[in-house]
Amino acid sequence: MTAPLLSIRDLHTSFYTESGVARAVDGVSFDIGAGETLGIVGESGCGKSVTALSILRLIQPPGRIETGSVIEFEGKNLVTLDDADIRDIRGNRISMIFQEPMSALNPVFMVGDQVAEVARVHAGMGRRDAWERAVEMLELTGMPDAEARARQYPHQLSGGMRQRVLIAMALMMKPALVIADEPTTALDVTIQAQILDLLLDLQKKIGTSILMITHDLGVIAETASRVIVMYAGEVVEQAEVDELFAKPHHPYTEGLMHSMPHIGHDQERLNVIPGTVPAPTEWPTGCRFRERCPYSWDLCEREHPPLYQIGSGHISRCHLAIEPERRNNPHPPLVVEAGAAAA
Amino acid sequence: MPWQTQDFAASAPTPVRESPLALAVRRILRKPSSRVAFFVLGVIVLVGLLAPLLAPYNPSAQPDIVRLKDLPPSLAHPFGTDQYSRDVLSRVIYGARLSLMIGVLATIVSLTLGVAYGAIAGYAGGILDAVMMRVLDAFLSIPRLLLLIGALVAWPRLSIGALVVFLGLTGWFGLSRIVRGQVLALKHAEFVTAAQALGASRRRILWRHLLPNIVSPIVVAATLGVAHVIVLEAGLSYLGIGVQPPLASWGNIINDGADQPAALWWMSLFPGLFMVLTVMTLNILGEALRDAYERR
Repeated sequence: MTAPLLSIRDLHTSFYTESGVARAVDGVSFDIGAGETLGIVGESGCGKSVTALSILRLIQPPGRIETGSVIEFEGKNLVTLDDADIRDIRGNRISMIFQEPMSALNPVFMVGDQVAEVARVHAGMGRRDAWERAVEMLELTGMPDAEARARQYPHQLSGGMRQRVLIAMALMMKPALVIADEPTTALDVTIQAQILDLLLDLQKKIGTSILMITHDLGVIAETASRVIVMYAGEVVEQAEVDELFAKPHHPYTEGLMHSMPHIGHDQERLNVIPGTVPAPTEWPTGCRFRERCPYSWDLCEREHPPLYQIGSGHISRCHLAIEPERRNNPHPPLVVEAGAAAA
Repeated sequence: MPWQTQDFAASAPTPVRESPLALAVRRILRKPSSRVAFFVLGVIVLVGLLAPLLAPYNPSAQPDIVRLKDLPPSLAHPFGTDQYSRDVLSRVIYGARLSLMIGVLATIVSLTLGVAYGAIAGYAGGILDAVMMRVLDAFLSIPRLLLLIGALVAWPRLSIGALVVFLGLTGWFGLSRIVRGQVLALKHAEFVTAAQALGASRRRILWRHLLPNIVSPIVVAATLGVAHVIVLEAGLSYLGIGVQPPLASWGNIINDGADQPAALWWMSLFPGLFMVLTVMTLNILGEALRDAYERR
């Protein structure tokens, strides 16, 4: 890969709450290449959204990005940039698509004005020019009857149309990077595929990179070329998408894949990973997945696993890398989901 | 949250533009009581605006202070005359003009101060917010009427402009509380984060994204605020420290008849009636507005 577009090194984002310091993102590093689609997958609470918000410095107090974290983008460290400079980047060079299009839109403004605002803020365009650009952009996202729809308010649009508005806003300035935080989760299944296709189509036209954040491996499979699996504030596995699906290494990744329903397979019930993500105020010592893992042994308790190199471009934070034979002897995990006896 | 499951391309062929404000107004006017209130208030406002055209006499003219004084209502003087032989109807009409004007202008002063103060405190948060709120608590602990009486006794014979400023200066405390609360509640809304993510500045977010979302509670407070100022002004004028005669305001017309309310009932009854009607309709509309936005 040539020089990456965005390069994150040792990102720590913590929330200083009354019940302790929640280390929501705890030493994350990764790169995104120009034009690339990188997927980040993981359960709720694993730190993927906080990572996304950290990139744009949208972490609100009591949260903060710890000093020493580096987010390098176009030669600048976003962590130490002053407020005016980071505002120049937001929505202009890096933009974000939110999960819930209804609440991400301002209820009292026409959607066209909201799309136009991006151009007014960043390109200094006048009202009329910005409006025309907004309508063009909405047309580009496949908004039917864009001219008229632009004059409507968010509550008058369907979920899919609202997401098109958010996409139009995000792509207005042809940014180098678009962060899509669960862009299809709130949408109807029939619309999900349309929206993903639209994103990929526009990516090709504009040449932007996408950071696709999701808990849905299906979305990853459809869109991403490379995948990062996050767990408990850390990157636990990273690989090319085909490699990851063919040879998942980390037991957490394995668990995520097993918990996907498969059409055609007779399944009594869905597989689940027992237990939940531990609280970010007190990550377990050693391996953070240990208690939910069917392979863990004493080493996992003693030593926090580093990121082992598994193959070319494939890394995994699991001690199985040094003792692979243990994979053949699974045991019941230490935690058993309350009420759900393991089948 | 219900999702629309039909294909988006097939939905609503002719989109109609419908602003939240238009929605609210429609909802309010659906209620008969607010339609009546709207109409009555509209008439009173028109009367005030068109006072010079509607008033049959000059409100300050004293044509015959001996023979035409204290006349009960008649065809020539529907509301009677006062002790200086002035036509009470004309004075009530001009009084509407002055009382409404004072109410609206003072409320604009309060609104400006209250919105700015509350929005800044709520959006800044932290220590600034805490300090600003304690200062506000101090102001709120003194009754408004007391503040006004104190001020007006200290500076008697104030111009109307100064009276408006005083009424406005003492009327924004509650409103700024409301605004601060709303800003506080909204500042972490996702659309605010979204606006930030698009590069909007803090100032832009506060004035262009947050405030338009809290227009409804502000309008409600303003409507009720106008009613309150009208009553206050009437009270102060009645006490003789508000609008000074010979200018007519509802309060000092009532005052003219206050010495013998049983014998000279028309002097106090008619301005009182107008004032009560105005305040009632403003309150009905304010409540209807509140209902409309709370049901969203």
